[in-house]
Amino acid sequence: MNRESLIRRDSGMDPLLWAAAFGLMLLGAAFIFSATADADAAAHLPWWRYHATAHAVAFAGGIAVAAALCLVDYGRLARWSLVAYWGSIVLLIAVFLIGVSRNGAKRWIDLGPLQFQPSEFAKIAFLFALANFLSRPADELRLPGNFIKALLMALVPFALILKEPDLGSSLVFMPTALVMMLVAGVPRPLLGRFVGGASILAALILVDVLFAPPQWKFIKLEEYQRRRLLVYFGVDFVARGSTPEEARQARLLQRDTAMNVDQAMISIGSGGMTGRGWRQGTQHSLGFLPRLGAHNDFIFSVISEETGFIGSITVLGLYGVVFFTGIRIAGEARDRLGRLLAVGVTALLFTHVFVNIGMNLRLMPVTGIPLPLLSAGGTSVLCSLVAIGILQNIHLHRRHY
Amino acid sequence: MLLFDQLNKGDRTLRMVAWSVLGGLLVLAVQLARLQVVSAEKYRATLQTQTFKTVRIPALRGKILARDGRELVGNSPRFRLDLYLDELRPQFQAEYTRLKREALAIRRAAMHEDPTAGWSRFLALFHRNRSTPHLNATEIDALQKLARFLVVSNSVASVNSRLGTQLAVSPAELERHYIAKRFMPLPILPNCTPTQVALVTEQSWSQPGIALEQVAVRNYPHGMLASHLLGHLRRNDTFDEEEGAFDYRLPDYKGAIGLEKAFDRDLRGVAGVKSILVNSAGYRHRQAEETLEPAHAGRNLVTTIDLDLQREVERALNTVKGGDERGAVVVMEPQTGDVLAMASAPSFDPGEWIDTISVQRYQSFHLKEPERPMFNRASYGEYAPGSIFKIFHTLALLENGLDPAEIYTVEPNPKKPGKGVYFLGKRPIEDTAPPGLYDLRRAFIHSSNSYFINYGLRLGWEKLLSMGRRFGLGDPTGIRIGEEKSGFLPTLEDVQHSSLTAGNLANVSIGQEITVTPLQMAVGLSAVANGGRVFWPRVVQRIESDGPLAEEPPTTVKPGQVRNQVVLPAASWDFVRSAMRDDVADPAGTGTAARVKDFAVCGKTGTAEIKGNGRKDKVTWFASFAPYEAPRYVVIVMVESGGSGGGTCAPVARQVYQFIHDREQGLHRGLASK
Repeated sequence: MNRESLIRRDSGMDPLLWAAAFGLMLLGAAFIFSATADADAAAHLPWWRYHATAHAVAFAGGIAVAAALCLVDYGRLARWSLVAYWGSIVLLIAVFLIGVSRNGAKRWIDLGPLQFQPSEFAKIAFLFALANFLSRPADELRLPGNFIKALLMALVPFALILKEPDLGSSLVFMPTALVMMLVAGVPRPLLGRFVGGASILAALILVDVLFAPPQWKFIKLEEYQRRRLLVYFGVDFVARGSTPEEARQARLLQRDTAMNVDQAMISIGSGGMTGRGWRQGTQHSLGFLPRLGAHNDFIFSVISEETGFIGSITVLGLYGVVFFTGIRIAGEARDRLGRLLAVGVTALLFTHVFVNIGMNLRLMPVTGIPLPLLSAGGTSVLCSLVAIGILQNIHLHRRHY
Repeated sequence: MLLFDQLNKGDRTLRMVAWSVLGGLLVLAVQLARLQVVSAEKYRATLQTQTFKTVRIPALRGKILARDGRELVGNSPRFRLDLYLDELRPQFQAEYTRLKREALAIRRAAMHEDPTAGWSRFLALFHRNRSTPHLNATEIDALQKLARFLVVSNSVASVNSRLGTQLAVSPAELERHYIAKRFMPLPILPNCTPTQVALVTEQSWSQPGIALEQVAVRNYPHGMLASHLLGHLRRNDTFDEEEGAFDYRLPDYKGAIGLEKAFDRDLRGVAGVKSILVNSAGYRHRQAEETLEPAHAGRNLVTTIDLDLQREVERALNTVKGGDERGAVVVMEPQTGDVLAMASAPSFDPGEWIDTISVQRYQSFHLKEPERPMFNRASYGEYAPGSIFKIFHTLALLENGLDPAEIYTVEPNPKKPGKGVYFLGKRPIEDTAPPGLYDLRRAFIHSSNSYFINYGLRLGWEKLLSMGRRFGLGDPTGIRIGEEKSGFLPTLEDVQHSSLTAGNLANVSIGQEITVTPLQMAVGLSAVANGGRVFWPRVVQRIESDGPLAEEPPTTVKPGQVRNQVVLPAASWDFVRSAMRDDVADPAGTGTAARVKDFAVCGKTGTAEIKGNGRKDKVTWFASFAPYEAPRYVVIVMVESGGSGGGTCAPVARQVYQFIHDREQGLHRGLASK
């Protein structure tokens, strides 16, 4: 076997990964159209201003950026990782100063025609920075100081995004960081101790948030976040000793808070085995799914209602292809940086998918977190495709020439 | 496989990661299967109930027709102006936004007195919602409610300026509608005039949410004609268990009295169901309506009523006393028992019940004494028959072997010379007939009380009462018109147990202390006219579905169903019939006022004395059939507080017979001229 054929065979991108990504993109465009076309038509928007059109444009842009990323070896990209990381931190701080609010959360920066979410960008920058940091020799990782540095790298964007507030996006940093550290070879006892401590802390926080009387609340969650957690953990809203009127108000509040998830379950459940057909779902068109979330965080409910169990499992399958391809690419990577990057990207995507679909299925509490490639939202689509692009880059440059 | 290779290839850590990913995906898949495969039915049912509202659509009510098919009660279209709230939603939203802005501006103005505004605005960057004014849930509710009311009021105002009406919707009314049934339109104007319909449908005017709805309402082409028999409707909001539950039922009626009540089931038809797609806010989703089950129109009643005769009967009854008549007329076909006309005075307009009737009006119908317009005197009124009972008394005497030629002497009344008297022991019973010698025929024609008391006492309770009973007196006739009473004839047990005396028997002999209904009398007299066949009277001859393509075959009620056959010798029938003819034809008879040229009317007058409300009153009767040779009509006339049977009631019968005779003559002439 000569070298030339070797290169040719190996130098292509991974076709299976692209196929799965294209499948997801196709589904995303089709069902965003389904969820929004009626409303867009009713608002007399021209076709180029439809949600689905914007989504398709984001795909095109994302694919272009992903392809461009593949031109440069990831190793060279990683040299800029600290710059990107600090840049993203600056952007996150900028959100507080010049950001714009939508629905009560300040998550966007307005650039005239475009608005983008720095938190999405921060996820990618963080991946590079952490992978770069952890790619040092394994011996150095045994030092607790480095472990703490790595943790801090995750905690800074975590805290900033949590403050926006965007609980969902902030939470993805932790599992991603942990998986990357695990694969990088940070000693297991160290990780274990950290995970144990964090779990206890999280449990304490939960108990504080859910059950503590107001004057004992140390953690100030947004009220709606607290209510969502109450619903998730099945805590009764009606306080003991409340008047009938208060109880009534509390019940109403409980029903309203539980409404989104209940309606998502009804959407998914009523899809049955084969679904109600494309554009035949009523849950979004009649407004039972939140109007702002049907094409967004609740797109999985729309897909499930209209395509049934078969369609939902297909979606899970396509994501499975992406994840396993990601892990395979990690295994094939030429160096620790590539391996960590690939694992990080996979972990990041998986966390998004699990948390989002889990929320739709009532396995997870409601947190606003997009479903990669399916949810509408330009920055999310762009970053998801960049993530795919990074995997392809690692695959493409898996050997030294 | 290429993908799952990761589960057993590569290093341990990566394998662990791969297994974790697989585990996560499996958890999701299992939960998906639980929702979409195991519990799919449950969620589908929930989806159904939250997205579809079922509405009951009442069926078109069946018509009531005269015997010749002309309409007695029908349906007519009516246009109702509706306001669809779902089409006003954008306006609700806009109005709410405006109100909210105003409210916040007021609040912000109050807040700006804070001197540290500059610094606090900087801090506000980090603490959302601390210093910006906001509204709490109750305030938002109130503002939204106000916004809805303002928008709806505006719409109604623009309808007012278009139509020149004075319509208004109260906030409470709107809120009730909004909470309970916002998927249904809000009715604004229940009954539009043709001009208003034209104004609304004109091209140049369009107001969002306004729509005309055509609804069917009961139509009474002849006004108050036969209103007691036909009955009226009443708004019906009760849920029928057989039909199951609905989220909403459209306004519906049911029969309250008369045929409308008795045949409500047939007339009402079968209600249909439509489902309305509603959105999460409870509004109708655009025009998406689906008829799940169409309504089946009610069936028509074909009555035995002769429309022209009915009209003439009412005209005759309503003019007998110059306007304040209380009475009843029943016209029956003696060979079949068919009711040709049935009238009760005073009467009422059934059309008043189409819309909500006021309490005062309702009470005036039901409680006004002594008129009681709602009261069907023909079948529900129980009256002492007085002398018309002598028809049956005569038959009883003949059956028990009285020689009609036997002479009885009536003594003169010492107090009123010229009038007869009967002494029961020492108690005198006054008579209106003169003293003298009486045989049965003369006693019948002069209606001699003394004669009939004398022989009645000899006859005894059992023979006298059983003859009345055999003709159906004192028993319900079984006619299905909603309201019927039985009248009262004492049974033998009553006689034995309540120590009824000879004095009571004397009174019963002349038709006092017993009661009958005019309808009963018509049935009994029909039997006299036809030779003893006591019929189940018939007023509905056919129940049929409308239209030539009706699937259900018509239900027919057989005419001339004999309930009881009174067997008497021909001589007895001949005697009574000819005596009745003579009562009208003989110049000495009491019923001469009923005479019609070339039409042999046979009749008997009656004047019963009753005590009502502590004062003496009279019930006057004229019971008749015609013509003598082959009876085709029985006419019973009863008037409360009349002068006398012959003076008050016989002329009513005469007018009815005259009409019948003229009509027959006209028919003959018409046939001859062809």
